[in-house]
Amino acid sequence: MTANRHVLITGVSRGIGAHLVRHYLAQHDTVVGCARGAAPLQHERYTHVQADVTNEGAVTKLCRDIRSRLGRLDVLINNAGIAGMNPVALTPMASARDIVTTNLLGTFLMTHAAIRLLRRSNAGRIVNFTTVAVPLRLDGEAIYASSKSAVETFTRIVAREVAGFGITCNAVGPSPIKTRLTAGVPAAKMERLISQQAIARWAEPDDVTNVIDFFLRPASAMVTGQIVYLGGAG
Amino acid sequence: MNDAEIEAIVLRAIHNINLAREPHAQIEESPRAAIFGPDSPLDSLGLVSLLIDVEEAMNDRGFDIMLSDARAMSQTLSPFRSVPALVAHIQSVLSAT
Repeated sequence: MTANRHVLITGVSRGIGAHLVRHYLAQHDTVVGCARGAAPLQHERYTHVQADVTNEGAVTKLCRDIRSRLGRLDVLINNAGIAGMNPVALTPMASARDIVTTNLLGTFLMTHAAIRLLRRSNAGRIVNFTTVAVPLRLDGEAIYASSKSAVETFTRIVAREVAGFGITCNAVGPSPIKTRLTAGVPAAKMERLISQQAIARWAEPDDVTNVIDFFLRPASAMVTGQIVYLGGAG
Repeated sequence: MNDAEIEAIVLRAIHNINLAREPHAQIEESPRAAIFGPDSPLDSLGLVSLLIDVEEAMNDRGFDIMLSDARAMSQTLSPFRSVPALVAHIQSVLSAT
């Protein structure tokens, strides 16, 4: 499995997700992107599906269509997620539910459906997204970090459950990257956060793709159930 | 789709799974056979594999189903414990869709 992989990426409308789409198209892969919003680009090897990762029917249909059109899936990147920065005492139940539903159950639903297609690959890969907010225990991110802690445990257990199919499952934990999400956070807070990392600088989108590329390499078939944080935050 | 047609799909899937299994780990290929539990050598990975094969066979015949169930690992209540239980479960899933 090197070129022309079949790659499914969630949460592709903007930010890291859109960057991942461009990155894997540049590597000659066939990419299916899923988002509630519009396609990040037009390309002959890109298919965009407007779907919510928390909608079971939509996720099932997405995977059924991939099976009909592509036959198999080589890579699932569960990038879709939402963050929330709010002290627990000020967090509405609806916000907490949205964060946990999208980050954990969205990852679960996509994985549940995609295992069926990844099993047809000779080197299936699942990559989940966590965050440095887990090891750094950032105040104001209790629900967000907890949902990503759950994603980490999910990753480690799925790794065991799918190993028999030749599928690996790992997670990358980006440190802060300049996106629309971080633009809304006070600069002083971001600088304080970054100063807690071993490598105290903003990360770039390519720092994330570098880790994912490592997980996807054929030579990484023995790498599974691992969590890799950027910036030495772990 | 009637019970006999579903049973044939299940037995075909068991047969295909057996092709890749050691002689001592074969699953009985009969209409009353146990699939999962103390009377079957199938582990959870094997069960997942078998059920996905059944899903795909159903899908090829135009029936889009997913065989997920909270009782999957129950020795007494699992809808996947035997061929008759699985056939009945698939019928109930088809009825619900």
